[in-house]
Amino acid sequence: MKLAVWSYQAPAHVGVSKAASSFADVHTILRAPKGDGYGTIMLAMFERLGVTPPLTVAAMSEATLAGAPADIGRTILEVDRRHAPRLIVVTRSATALVLQEPLEGEIGMIPAGTVRAEVMQASTHPVRDNEISAFAKTVREVVDRCAQDGHPRTKEPSVNIIGPSLLGFHDHSNVASLRRMFADIGVEVNAVLPLGATMDDLQGVGKAWVNVSTALELALPTMELLRERFGTPFVADVPYGEIGTARFLQEVTNLLEIPHDRIRNAARDAKLSWFARTVDAHALSGKRVGVFGMPSAAAGIARFLRDELDMRVEFVGTFVLEYGDWLRERTKDLTDSFVITDDFEEVARAIDQTRPDIVFGSQMERHSSSRYGVPCAVVSPPAHILNFPLGYAPMLGFDGANHLGDIVNQTQVLGLEHHLIETFGPRGQGRFAEAAPEGVDQAEPPSGSDLTWDAQAERLIKRIPFFVRKKARANIEKYARERGLRTIEESTVLAAREHLGG
Amino acid sequence: MFEHGDDVIERDDFCSLAPIGWLHHKMQDSFFLVVGTGSCQGFLQTALGVMIFAQPRFGTAVLDEDDLGGADPLTGLLPVAREVVTRHQPAAIFLASTCTPEILKMNIAGCAAPLEREFGVRVYPVRMDGFDAAYTQGEDHVLTSMIERAPQTAEKNLVILGCLSAVEEAEIRLECAAMGLPVPAFLPGESALDVPAIGKNTTLVPVHPYLAGACAYAKRERECAVPQVVFPYGPDGARAFYEALAAAFGKTVSYEARERETWAACEAELATLRGRSIAFCADAMLELSLARTLRAAGCRIPFVATPSISRKFHGKESALLEGVEVLERPDRFAVFERLSADHPDLVVANLNIANPLEGMGFNVKWSTELTFQPIHGFSGARALFALFASALRRHDALDRSRGAVGGTGRPIDLAFFREETHRTRAAV
Repeated sequence: MKLAVWSYQAPAHVGVSKAASSFADVHTILRAPKGDGYGTIMLAMFERLGVTPPLTVAAMSEATLAGAPADIGRTILEVDRRHAPRLIVVTRSATALVLQEPLEGEIGMIPAGTVRAEVMQASTHPVRDNEISAFAKTVREVVDRCAQDGHPRTKEPSVNIIGPSLLGFHDHSNVASLRRMFADIGVEVNAVLPLGATMDDLQGVGKAWVNVSTALELALPTMELLRERFGTPFVADVPYGEIGTARFLQEVTNLLEIPHDRIRNAARDAKLSWFARTVDAHALSGKRVGVFGMPSAAAGIARFLRDELDMRVEFVGTFVLEYGDWLRERTKDLTDSFVITDDFEEVARAIDQTRPDIVFGSQMERHSSSRYGVPCAVVSPPAHILNFPLGYAPMLGFDGANHLGDIVNQTQVLGLEHHLIETFGPRGQGRFAEAAPEGVDQAEPPSGSDLTWDAQAERLIKRIPFFVRKKARANIEKYARERGLRTIEESTVLAAREHLGG
Repeated sequence: MFEHGDDVIERDDFCSLAPIGWLHHKMQDSFFLVVGTGSCQGFLQTALGVMIFAQPRFGTAVLDEDDLGGADPLTGLLPVAREVVTRHQPAAIFLASTCTPEILKMNIAGCAAPLEREFGVRVYPVRMDGFDAAYTQGEDHVLTSMIERAPQTAEKNLVILGCLSAVEEAEIRLECAAMGLPVPAFLPGESALDVPAIGKNTTLVPVHPYLAGACAYAKRERECAVPQVVFPYGPDGARAFYEALAAAFGKTVSYEARERETWAACEAELATLRGRSIAFCADAMLELSLARTLRAAGCRIPFVATPSISRKFHGKESALLEGVEVLERPDRFAVFERLSADHPDLVVANLNIANPLEGMGFNVKWSTELTFQPIHGFSGARALFALFASALRRHDALDRSRGAVGGTGRPIDLAFFREETHRTRAAV
């Protein structure tokens, strides 16, 4: 036993449900105690579904404890009648696994012709798999079962987008962003899997020329399957950032053998690289960031922050342990500090020890960062209802890069604003201000110096912004002492400035 | 519209671990140690997410494959309990067994005494599994376990059973004083160690309709008196409740005037409610009581669905609902079918189906709120009606704003994510 109060990933059956229920014609039946069915609430609440989610809990009861059979066949018949799905995916939670009910046998005993839908059992293991591995495997299994051989490739170059789902991180916007981008380079989207994919989409999944993903860890098993079955190549990179998206599209256009110059068309609304050159963004240079989240997001965003905004990556990490080495390999040129853990306290310690200027993480890192007064942008699940925005807020593609720029801006003190505050003080009195804000002068400790400042010199030093004044005073006194002066006059200040600069 | 079988296929309910949300809040020195799967932990994280961020006084001892393979649970629990005691220093630990230990017949309850000896902290064994009729019964099990530890007494005393807020307790305390009844003790109290004495001269009075188990246990084991009550929801319920309390102590007290005053004080809300129809989906077992007081307030109740009815424990409430159709432990689709036929002005439903019902065109009041808002007694009556009245007002106001234009949006379903949908919408 291990004490857990919070975890980055839900149990496997939630991953199966998320994947299967995202297909338009698939219904999930979860054999579990009623309490394990909380995925239905997440679907109804976070996704604001105006229909009952295609997920039915075949609840275990006291009778089950007493040895009553699961009677999964009856649930299947009813689900088939009520919801008329094309495919029913049966899965179970860890509790149901313990009971070792012969679900497979019960499914096999359903008389032929009584159920219109096809029925399959998810092969994921309720304990050994986790949310992400179960999701990835389930998408693959559904695709493998439904995909039909013998379809020719689409006439025009096309892609499948694999990974977006219900409860996915900003996936409504991600799909819109990628669809728009592919339209701009003249590439059809053959299917989006699993989000909203119909049985027709599934059957014709082999028609696409290339497969791309919104997160490698969610899509890799499916992309590998499609490569095996249909010879479809895939792109492992995920389009984070403007340069990242351009690089991604170069790979896509190479595979599709279409002209690169179309990328320029897709990038016509891209503002990020220009933003990076504007004065506002200058202050971002060298700012220290920590990045933690899903592997693809962590890799993509860390690279974006370093390559496109000139920020310094203090650490990068993920809670998907099996992708730890992948992430290390992908980001070894960005940092030598990796946080590969599913313990949120360990991530909090990394934040505490490095105190970055901005953390990019999940909702948990937002919370941990606030403990140390470090600003945090949420760029990865685990998510919050706020990560299911009504408006357009993509993380991927050129539009996603623009949005990431906004996120960076909103999270830290604005660049130029920062500069002005440093130069002129927070009240904006300008460079001719006579006095520092109230209270500041009084708070300034006496210099305790053996040197005397005459009135004119004192007036001059008070014009220096209060937060650098102390340092300036010390520098000037050091200058005076080195020259054996006892009294500092206006001319000493000017001479010191000339000597020291600033 | 919907076909349904004889038995329940789909229910809308939470796990009985949910009451940890309000119980750990009430008993500030408690720790709820749940022995279960990652799914239990995931549920707590999802249901009580906000509280997770504040060093929660609950956690899950997640069973690993060794535990599932039949290892002695005490071996696994010792280090976990040590961690809890060291980090949180609770006055008492609620050791909750869940579905998986029940199926495996792991003796979690048997670990309570050794853990208590080891750490010198009281450990209450509780069964909080998902086999209950309603999630609120988690509280029933917790209180049962506490009653087990209640000191014996021969004194004539009064124990109010059920988790209440300070304001709700204050009203009961004042009314008892006014009636000349013994000073009531409350279970649960502010401390998890605070368990009032219960003996054969004790009068134990439940305030929630989901505490049948704890009451039956106390009656059986302590031979205390448990009067059948109308639960103190709404002015009518409060009056009946206090009059029953008085009667239990051989007094006759009339709360008729008080009830009238409270109805009058609620007039602003009642004006909105009067003549409107409100239907209840099965949820927390509060449905009978709430429907009863809303009917008294002038609402039409086309039907009430509730997860379970105890003939004795809910006897008085059921009697007062005479003439209203009650569906016990219905299938989700049976309820949907009824809603389609009746089309009430307001549907009370839990978070599982609240948004889907809105999507089907119903006006919904989400019911989960009713379990943790202070709506008991005379002083809570207006707050109770306000929850329903504000839901109606809101829907009315939004309908008015949409006026001649009509709603432009449509509910989100899976077709929403298809490109054609977006294209069609853009074209319109």
